[in-house]
Amino acid sequence: MEIKCEDVKHLADLSNFSLPDKEIVALQNDLQDIIKYISQLDELDTKNVEPTYQVFEMENVWREDEILPQEADREALLALTKEEKDHQIKVPKVL
Amino acid sequence: MKYTPTIGIECHVQLSTKTKLFSEVDNDARGKEPNSCVSPVDYALPGMLPRLNGEAIKYAIRAGRAMNCEINAFSRFDRKHYFYPDSPKGYQITQFYQPIIGPGFVELPSGTKIRIEHAHLEGDAGKLTHFSNYSLVDLNRVDTPLIEIVSMPDIHSPKDAHDYCKELWRLMCYAEVTYGDLFNGNMRFDVNISLAPEGAKELGTRAEIKNLNSFRSVERAAEYEIKRQTRILNAGEKVVQETRGWNDATGETTGQRSKEEAKDYRYMPEPDLPPINLSQEFIDAESAKLPMMPNDYRKKFEGTLKPDILEILLDYPSLMKKLDQLATREDASEGLSEVTTENEGASPVTTGASDPSPRKPSSRVSLIANLFTSVLLAEEKSAEYLNDLPSTNDLKDLAEMNEKKELSSTATKEVFLKLFDPQMKGRGTKTIAKELGLVQENDLGALEKIVDTVLAKPETQKAQADYKAGEQKVIGFLVGQVMKASRGKANPSAVQEILRKKLA
Repeated sequence: MEIKCEDVKHLADLSNFSLPDKEIVALQNDLQDIIKYISQLDELDTKNVEPTYQVFEMENVWREDEILPQEADREALLALTKEEKDHQIKVPKVL
Repeated sequence: MKYTPTIGIECHVQLSTKTKLFSEVDNDARGKEPNSCVSPVDYALPGMLPRLNGEAIKYAIRAGRAMNCEINAFSRFDRKHYFYPDSPKGYQITQFYQPIIGPGFVELPSGTKIRIEHAHLEGDAGKLTHFSNYSLVDLNRVDTPLIEIVSMPDIHSPKDAHDYCKELWRLMCYAEVTYGDLFNGNMRFDVNISLAPEGAKELGTRAEIKNLNSFRSVERAAEYEIKRQTRILNAGEKVVQETRGWNDATGETTGQRSKEEAKDYRYMPEPDLPPINLSQEFIDAESAKLPMMPNDYRKKFEGTLKPDILEILLDYPSLMKKLDQLATREDASEGLSEVTTENEGASPVTTGASDPSPRKPSSRVSLIANLFTSVLLAEEKSAEYLNDLPSTNDLKDLAEMNEKKELSSTATKEVFLKLFDPQMKGRGTKTIAKELGLVQENDLGALEKIVDTVLAKPETQKAQADYKAGEQKVIGFLVGQVMKASRGKANPSAVQEILRKKLA
């Protein structure tokens, strides 16, 4: 699988990254190497192997529907954001 | 050219569990401050792990069974990636490959069946409010449990689209999995619509109208889209596959910027949540908890209530439950009145014994149902009233008093409304009726005495003579005089009967 310059731009777009041109080429090479490395796995015949979604083989891990007090309150959490207004997180306008 | 519209609907239902889908935080943010129902998990802080709410699984089973769906024993979660400030994780946890709810169907009141493709569990996104040059983010809604219900493209008219959404809303409310508050977005509909020439095998290009939150807007948006797409196709042009927004004020859909259209969600299995593997016993136990559904009520009250009245009442699950209790109590009281006499020897037996006419099964249910549609729903405070219904016994007493003619139809309506009155309710139908002086005199002996006094009065002599001479109409005057003498408490039809006998 070949990683094109457009693929890197597309991924950057999806993640809302701004990417200078010179970094695009560097990332393109890096990604290409990674894909090539991982592609070695394609040599294995997995036709009769169940896909693995989870390595711990656990199932049905769930909790009771009870409200628990939270250690971090609203102010503590809002303090982590860059900007807040009226107890909400302020972000550049998005539509 | 004639075109056949084909409509598929995706519906998001917010579940009314106590906590969120993946964190132990209050899931009911109604009337609460922004960002007050959040945890580090909702903020997606590094190292936070989602913990699945077991109750949401049970809700999903009930919701699925309400739609006659198969429940998949095995299901699991996936990440759907997208970048937007309403989702701090950068992805939504959903069930893309193996959803918990399999195929089923929803039957519309018309009998049309709309197949369900599948339905899955997922977390909701936060809420954005847009201002002139910035947006504010409230994360209270992040990871509220949702069930997304995906229909097959079985809908072919705006009316059916409306009816399908409404029936879904009822099913979810009756299954008790959601508050069902449409105004606050508890259920949201995405409508896919395409046109194809009549008889064509292949579907046309579709447009998707997102985020509708009322049945009416679903119907209107579908009507508008059919017109718009017909115009385009008739002009020989092509419908663009796109997402369109609905403007309720203008009644139009408009294309949204297609820049974000190139969807690439890069789905991957959610490594933080082990899969769900349910035993048949678990599924059966939860399915058994499903209460009576709209169709069960339709069958039960088929001969008792007119279909149009029943369809109105079906919008109020608590009301239907009440009518069902009333019907059940009525059935039971047929055989039980005897037993009651033996067991509660000291207390007076009020049911059955003194009925003037043999009880017609379900006549009480239909009387109360009619009072609800004709009197209560016309009241300004009906929404408030419906939240707090009178006891089944009070309603039963009211129907009984009406049946025994202790209350006239006007008096029945008056007492009925008083049963909802915060000042009066809880005092019991009989007390209220007595306090208001609305109980009619049915004691024939007492009535006869009043009639005799009236007939002895000089001012009624002429009327009596006229009546005997064949002037039937004057009976009205005489009944009026008796009613006056009884201060309105006499039962007019009983009075008339006595008068006719006496003057014969």
